[in-house]
Amino acid sequence: MASRLGHAIPLPFISPRLYHRALDFNISLGRSMDLLNSLPAHSSSLGNFRLPLRHQCNARTVVATDISQGTPVRPTSVLVVGATGTLGRQIVRRSLDEGYDVRCLVRPRPAPADFLRDWGAIVVNGDLSKPETIPATLVGIHTIIDCATGRPEEPILKVDWEGKVALIQCAKAMGIQKYVFYSIHNCDKHPEVPLMEIKYCTEKFLQDSGLNHIIIRLCGFMQGLIGQYAVPILEEKSVWGTDAPTRIAYMDTQDIARLTLIAMRNDKADRKLLTFAGPRAWSTQEVITLCERLAGQDANVTTVPVSVLKLTRQLTRLFQWTNDVADRLAFSEVLASNMVFSASMADTYSLLGVDSKDIVTLERYLQDYFTNILKKLKDLKAQSKQTDIYL
Amino acid sequence: MELPGGYIAAASSSNGLCSKSNSFGLRLPYPTTPNTLHRTLIAMKASNLSTGSGGEKGRGGKKGPRKQKKKAKEGDAAAPKEAAGLDAEGSGSKQASLSLEDVNPVGLGRRSRQIFDELWRKFAGLGQLSTTSVVDEGLLEGVLIGGPMCEFTVAEAQDTTVLVVGATSRIGRIVVRKLMLRGYKVKSNPPTTIQISNINTKDHERYEKGLWLGKADPEVIDMLPRSVDIVLGDVGEPTTLESAIEGCNKIIYCATARSTVTADLYRVDYRGVYNVIKAFQDHNNKLAQLRAGKSSKSKLLLAKFKSSQSLEGWEVRQGTYFEDVPIDKYNGRMDAKLEFTESGEAVFSGYVYTRGGYVELSKKLSLPLGSTLDRYDGLLLSVGGNGRSYVVTLESGPLADTSQRKLYFARMSTKVGFCRVRIPFSSFRPVVPDDPPLDPFLVHTLMIRFEPRKQRPPEGPSGLTQDPRSFKLILEYIKALPTGQETDFILVSCTGAAIDPTRRAQVLKAKKAGEDSLRRSGLGYTIIRPGPLLEEPGGQRALIFDQGNRISQSISCADVADICIKALHDSTARNKSFDVCYEYVAEQGNGLYELVAHLPDKANNYLTPALAVLEKNT
Repeated sequence: MASRLGHAIPLPFISPRLYHRALDFNISLGRSMDLLNSLPAHSSSLGNFRLPLRHQCNARTVVATDISQGTPVRPTSVLVVGATGTLGRQIVRRSLDEGYDVRCLVRPRPAPADFLRDWGAIVVNGDLSKPETIPATLVGIHTIIDCATGRPEEPILKVDWEGKVALIQCAKAMGIQKYVFYSIHNCDKHPEVPLMEIKYCTEKFLQDSGLNHIIIRLCGFMQGLIGQYAVPILEEKSVWGTDAPTRIAYMDTQDIARLTLIAMRNDKADRKLLTFAGPRAWSTQEVITLCERLAGQDANVTTVPVSVLKLTRQLTRLFQWTNDVADRLAFSEVLASNMVFSASMADTYSLLGVDSKDIVTLERYLQDYFTNILKKLKDLKAQSKQTDIYL
Repeated sequence: MELPGGYIAAASSSNGLCSKSNSFGLRLPYPTTPNTLHRTLIAMKASNLSTGSGGEKGRGGKKGPRKQKKKAKEGDAAAPKEAAGLDAEGSGSKQASLSLEDVNPVGLGRRSRQIFDELWRKFAGLGQLSTTSVVDEGLLEGVLIGGPMCEFTVAEAQDTTVLVVGATSRIGRIVVRKLMLRGYKVKSNPPTTIQISNINTKDHERYEKGLWLGKADPEVIDMLPRSVDIVLGDVGEPTTLESAIEGCNKIIYCATARSTVTADLYRVDYRGVYNVIKAFQDHNNKLAQLRAGKSSKSKLLLAKFKSSQSLEGWEVRQGTYFEDVPIDKYNGRMDAKLEFTESGEAVFSGYVYTRGGYVELSKKLSLPLGSTLDRYDGLLLSVGGNGRSYVVTLESGPLADTSQRKLYFARMSTKVGFCRVRIPFSSFRPVVPDDPPLDPFLVHTLMIRFEPRKQRPPEGPSGLTQDPRSFKLILEYIKALPTGQETDFILVSCTGAAIDPTRRAQVLKAKKAGEDSLRRSGLGYTIIRPGPLLEEPGGQRALIFDQGNRISQSISCADVADICIKALHDSTARNKSFDVCYEYVAEQGNGLYELVAHLPDKANNYLTPALAVLEKNT
């Protein structure tokens, strides 16, 4: 079975508890649809688990005649999964601006995603971890853009694997015409990191499903750097970094959204695996230095050696109740591997017909950020001075 | 015995975490004075007494098994924090007594817990692939999402309220979204919201036919963003428009009749535009009155003919272009007079039988103090009569020295019956071709001239022949139109290519009537005539901007919406009408030399260069 699917990577660090849940994984999406016929694999040896990739997408598109006779699905109708995320919201904005009718799949929660509605998107409630909520949200959708990733505090298997499998199978069954999936660059090279492993397995699952799809592998978001480095430096708080020489080609999420939509409309990109990387790969130290230069002040850097991270991870792995923590620290393995998260974009640019000059560089992005934020702070100061006079 | 022990535990643990507490900016709790020591002790005692507080955990960690490393660490971090907090307090104001809050063990425990969580989060964040942003969301959103870092942000958006008429139409829906994305709304300021006037709700009830999407209406309204201020109304009913216009700066009119029934076309495409313009101008006037008539948007009254006194200052002159030729030779006669009739009209009438002769009416302009014509865009005349065309001449230069005077002329044609004619200053040409272009600031005299040359064949019932050499001009008023940088009213019209040929003439007639009423209104206008609309994403193909009804291609709704948004703050879009469609290769003989293609994109502002080459006041 493993040979048929061509991929079975040992995943030693997922807790037994989670694994067993994965084995029991079986979703029923309503009686009328014979969607799932999951055949969970059996692990070969104790303590050496496999991701239940044995799911085969054998969902068939339900009664094609029904669909063809009904209202035709408009090619501008898009469902964005994970619309409240850093990337998701940019995709929603971009696609709204380009004239798409955007539907957002959002988990029901006390604080509703009002900003999506304010922009003109339609928000539907659904939860990937509750597969029965999915089908209704897919009615009348032409393309699914899936940029959902479980939050770090969530059990990773639930959303990122089970939820995605359910979504893909449902998409197949309901005749969704394109599925855009975001993965992580180099995810095939790091099976020890659960999230990357899951992304890789999802890629494979999607490719085997027969859905028309585009897989986009991403490296890093510039937006993440703001919270991580830029803000603490401005607030003169300590910045935490590692001494790992890993380099990441950060990219502006607005550019990612733009390229995604171009790729989505381009038939040549169908069933392709694209990697979106920024113009240059940066190490943590370089990013901090750049921020210091632009902010005009020195950062209070706390460097944590990668070895400490690895050690903590090893320690936390010893106990079942700290396994979640261990999973979360898994990326330290990648950090320790001196990987460069970057890819040549020349082919992608020529495929999509994009000029590389239009892609924002990290220098320009951070420069923009700092000039804007410093101006804003200045305004705030001026304002407070004014009120002082009044008082 | 317990108290010193507690203290020692705290001190030693703070030693152990020395570097860490430094790194997150806390001062180390080394009690230097007996006073602070005492306070620390009190604190430790308090925490020891309570169960499950930071202090006890700290001690437990020291003695407990290694298994609880994590908890112990938490406690370690907690203990110095308490001490540090107290110490800082103590050294800062030694005289100040401790409040109950400061020694509240629950509060201390919570605070220490927070500190530890923060520390752990940062540590764990290093080993994570995806980090959730934890910074002040407001600040981040302010810059990244709605602020200047966002590619969509438009600087002027904050102070602009846009009324989208026909917000549920194909273009309107996208226009509303784009406006919202660009921040045409301030959350904290309730009055500045986008207002939507949904057109034709009444008509739906009246003509509930298959073609009319009447039933879908509540759903369609649901699709609009919720923070949009929705005003239901009907452009055919002027009374319903008042509340919609309230507080708006700009209008985008993308309503269109949903059938080609003549009554419907008239109601939406002509009267609808007219009614919205009227309501908008009423609103502007009301605002102007609040500011004692000094609004940049109000017109300047140059002359009003409402009584016989108002005719003072107007002179009637006669002349001929062939000055060297005696008039008698051609047996020519001409006569003209300006009089105030009993019916309350100022009538300029007469005849010119002389070849090359003309009669003209002139007046020295007396502008109100503080107004100069350079702040105005053109002239608006409300006239009636028998449909002749006239030449309006402006005289500029020093009043005393007539040798330096410069004359500028523009032709104006009138219709039978009353009409309003708009003559932009830019259409005045110098009489002497070498003269510089008209500078409205220097204008001091206005002349209206009738000459028999170049008159159109007389209109009116056939058989009734009119002599084109006689004329009658009823004057109502002459006003100057205010200038402005930006457009006030964007009208989405159409080229007519997509309309059923049997009804095309009627549709275009109604659209044209609507456009004309906008042009004459004095508002800054932009008229967009897109080719047949397609429902597809915008920004994909190059666009052609053209004038003169030559385009043949279709265009996506999203692109039209984008042009609307861009035109809002673009000075080149003011007072222009243009056709727009996807790029194409022109047929032979219909050269592309005037067609401009631009690819819409975030980086380039394609509209300005595209419109800059197009004719103004069209």
